[in-house]
Amino acid sequence: MSWLASTRTRLRLLFARRAAESRMDEEFRFHLDMETERLVREHGLEPEEARRQALAAFGGVERYKEELRDGRGLAWLGGLSLDFKLGVRMAAKYPGLSLVSVLGMAVAIAIGALVFGWAAAMLDPTLPLEGGDRIVAVQTDRADVPGDFDQHVLHDFVVWRTELTTVRDLGAFQLGDRNLIVERGGKGEDRVTDVVAVAEMSAAGFRVGRVPPLLGRPLVDDDERAGGPPVLVIGEREWQRYFGGDPNIIGQTVRLGETVHTVVGVMREDFRFPRNDGFWVPLRLDASQYEIGAGPPIQIFGRLADGVTFEQAQAQVAAIGHRLAAEYPETHEYRRPTVVPFARTAEPTASGPEMTWLLYMIQLGASLLLVVIAANVAALVYARTAARTAEIAVRTALGASRARVITQLFVEALVLSAAAAAVGLSLAAFALGWMEQLLRQKSQDLPFWFHLGLSPGLIAYVAGLALVGGTVVGVVPALKATGRRAYGSLQQFAARGSGMKLGSTWTALIVAQVALTVAVLPASVHHASALLRTSMRGSEYPAGEFLRARVSLDREEAPPRADSAAAAAHQRRFDARFASRAEALLQRLGAEPGVAAAFVSDFPGGEPHRRFEIEGDPASRNAAADVGGEKTAVLSTPSSATVGFFELFDAPIVAGRGFTDADTAEGSTAVIVDTAFAARIPGGNILGRRIRSVESRRASAGDEAGPAPWLEIVGVVADPPSTTTDPDDVALPNVYRAAAPSGLRRDGAQATSILLRLRVRSGLTPAFTRHLRDMVVETDPSFQLHDVQTDAEVLSRGARELRTFALAVAFATLSVLLLSAAGIYAMLSFTVAQRRREIGIRVALGADSRRIVSSIFRRASAQLGAGVAVGLILALALDRATGGMLMGRLSAETAGLRGAVILMPIVAAIVMVVGLLAALGPARRGLAVQPTEALRDE
Amino acid sequence: MPPRSQTDALRGSLDLLVLKTLSLAPMHGWGISQRVQQISEGVLDVNQGSLYPALQRLEKDGLITSEWGTTDNNRRARYYRLTAGGRRALGKELESWRRFAAGLEAVLRTT
Repeated sequence: MSWLASTRTRLRLLFARRAAESRMDEEFRFHLDMETERLVREHGLEPEEARRQALAAFGGVERYKEELRDGRGLAWLGGLSLDFKLGVRMAAKYPGLSLVSVLGMAVAIAIGALVFGWAAAMLDPTLPLEGGDRIVAVQTDRADVPGDFDQHVLHDFVVWRTELTTVRDLGAFQLGDRNLIVERGGKGEDRVTDVVAVAEMSAAGFRVGRVPPLLGRPLVDDDERAGGPPVLVIGEREWQRYFGGDPNIIGQTVRLGETVHTVVGVMREDFRFPRNDGFWVPLRLDASQYEIGAGPPIQIFGRLADGVTFEQAQAQVAAIGHRLAAEYPETHEYRRPTVVPFARTAEPTASGPEMTWLLYMIQLGASLLLVVIAANVAALVYARTAARTAEIAVRTALGASRARVITQLFVEALVLSAAAAAVGLSLAAFALGWMEQLLRQKSQDLPFWFHLGLSPGLIAYVAGLALVGGTVVGVVPALKATGRRAYGSLQQFAARGSGMKLGSTWTALIVAQVALTVAVLPASVHHASALLRTSMRGSEYPAGEFLRARVSLDREEAPPRADSAAAAAHQRRFDARFASRAEALLQRLGAEPGVAAAFVSDFPGGEPHRRFEIEGDPASRNAAADVGGEKTAVLSTPSSATVGFFELFDAPIVAGRGFTDADTAEGSTAVIVDTAFAARIPGGNILGRRIRSVESRRASAGDEAGPAPWLEIVGVVADPPSTTTDPDDVALPNVYRAAAPSGLRRDGAQATSILLRLRVRSGLTPAFTRHLRDMVVETDPSFQLHDVQTDAEVLSRGARELRTFALAVAFATLSVLLLSAAGIYAMLSFTVAQRRREIGIRVALGADSRRIVSSIFRRASAQLGAGVAVGLILALALDRATGGMLMGRLSAETAGLRGAVILMPIVAAIVMVVGLLAALGPARRGLAVQPTEALRDE
Repeated sequence: MPPRSQTDALRGSLDLLVLKTLSLAPMHGWGISQRVQQISEGVLDVNQGSLYPALQRLEKDGLITSEWGTTDNNRRARYYRLTAGGRRALGKELESWRRFAAGLEAVLRTT
């Protein structure tokens, strides 16, 4: 589209130019003909002579053609293209400077573009469906809990569906996981099982999407009828993956959990509504089964009716909300239904003004980074521009206006920043694509509309950055170089070597540059190398034998009443079912040869316990962060107690005793701590001491249940190996309690999964993983195994991510180092070069060259030394500030800064060497100047 | 009055002459040059070509317009004509030129 328009404009300009040229040719020809004829007629000249005289009188046809072309208004463009040519030539003439400038700005632009791409995906998500911006969600905010939603809105949904005129195709959906069991061929052979996300969705969802099915039909309203045959629509991707793209898929049966469904349709790949779905079953909910305010959690969507604005829809929804709140105050008093763009209802999205504000601030910071780097490049370019004072003076004398000279210098800088923008944009495009891929791998339920990549907005932003960069790099030095003082420089140029006296400004620039380099670089280098070291660290245990997976159970029907007693009874029933399945699974696993398994939970009381206090040590309560365990695992042993968590990891009990069956009983207070925890308990004697969890502030505010019960340390176990590559997470202490399957707690009240840890002594094979899936499904079709991964996979993925990140940091650091080294070099060599004449004169007057050299180096060293000193002070102040603020957990990072202190002298030395080398060249050239030459200039 | 360089003064007077010439009748470039040469006794003697940048400038400023036409002996030529704005500008320019010339005259007479 846009390229079409621009091509048209270019063609028109081209033809306009042609027309103007031919008009000019014709006019000139006519003029010369008339003049020739006149000369022949009036002066009786021979036609040839007349022609010659006519041409002479005209005075240079080409010259006036050129003048007319200039006057046509495209001259500035012609000049600009010349400027661009000059700019490219200039960039090629100083390859080092160009490389450094482009690299530095490219890194800054890439970072800015990354942040922009990310922020755009968060701030302005759009549904890639026809009229996707008019697809909305009706969310029910809770006025009593800001930021929370009420999803038990089945009755409200029924009201909205009948009354709302501003939102059409109103529907609801519910997301959940199911075991997909596909029997290919005969029974039992070639069975595929997997856990898949299933959307129970109103048929309206397919109308909202406006995407026709690939095969068969979408869901229709009739499918929602209670008691209707179980039907299923699948996505194109799933059709290919699980059914090999079978053209006869329609009418085949597929088992999802407990229910066998008939496939009635396949949807195209571009329809993955409402989240990132490929399995759709009809949502069959009967509001009459539930009391007002009760029912399963559902989410509501619809499409704005034609010609209706968000505000109108919002007003109608709010009006209905008010009426319901008056009608049913006990359930609806705090419900505030609102209409929001559907694309904003799923993570990751910027929710709330704070988040938006934060994103804008980060964006601003990233953009400022370019300004900082561009200022650095500007200092470099300034040195070059200053060296070109003579050229500028000559051009000015020849009639170039100040604006013209500035334009030229700006365009020269623009060539650099445009190259940097191209490099930065490609880097950012690559990184964004990589990030999206990574996110999609990590999170299956990333919304289908989430997209990180190039967009017109992003390209415009980068173009803007390039302009800003070009302005800082080109215009600022140009303004200085062409300032009023520079007008005298033609005389200066004639009489002496170069213009521009900078003196103290220059010294300040050098000192600032050196100081920043010394202050910032070591920490960054240290960080990158620490990350790299961590990523290279091998695993300390046979990671290939270990497997982790989350286990969960299909959701049950919601309780018909909304009160807490009903919810609790519902939860109890579910827990009992879960425990029996878990027990059965552990029994089966225990019967497998060479297999050991245990369930582990981070939520022993439904809450992650992070901090502990020690009995009889009141100080520990305040300093709980220093004592506390980060992770508490409840481990489950089957009743036979033959397999335990510690045995799983070959972690020996180093003091006290291990767990017994009695410890799994409800109300048991026995805990085992690991050596990392034990090391934090003062006084040495650990066994028999009692600890208790210090509730987090949020939990204690929520319920006044009193302090947590005291727990008695009965044993100390060697630290189990860590599967994290996070350097901060290595030696975090753990507290373990034992539990039977019935005492298992899942992660919070909402989620229904628990971690299964498993070891196969003979090593893990894909065949075993398949076997494990079968075992789980055979235990119960609604029992699910998620996120199956070996520890080796977890470790290598973590290491890979860390390595990539470290390399990115190293790359950025390196370019900054390069940039500052080049900056220091350019500035110092420039200042020394300015003294060349002075040096020549001193040599002519018989000064000792050794003394001259030492005076040059003394001055350079003083500038560099001042910079290093300021840098060290800055770094120490920074260290002090962060060390003072970031206590506890962040101690590793302050230690990192301390480590960086060791690097400081090295960086300082590099800076000094670079600086002195920079002074060396011009000093030698100064000494080589013939005294006569130096004096003649005077 | 800001100082005017020699080229500026020349350029200004050429513009004035062109406007004045066109105030009588539309004319093509060569015709204008002949007329200007007659009345100015040689401002354009050096280079007739310098007329064309002046024409372009005046056209860009909207003081004159141009279109293709045919001469008496049936040749295609570009004819320039004064616009209403050009007529106003001519009046103003003439006025200031006369004042400038009178001033100059007075100075020349006294010194």
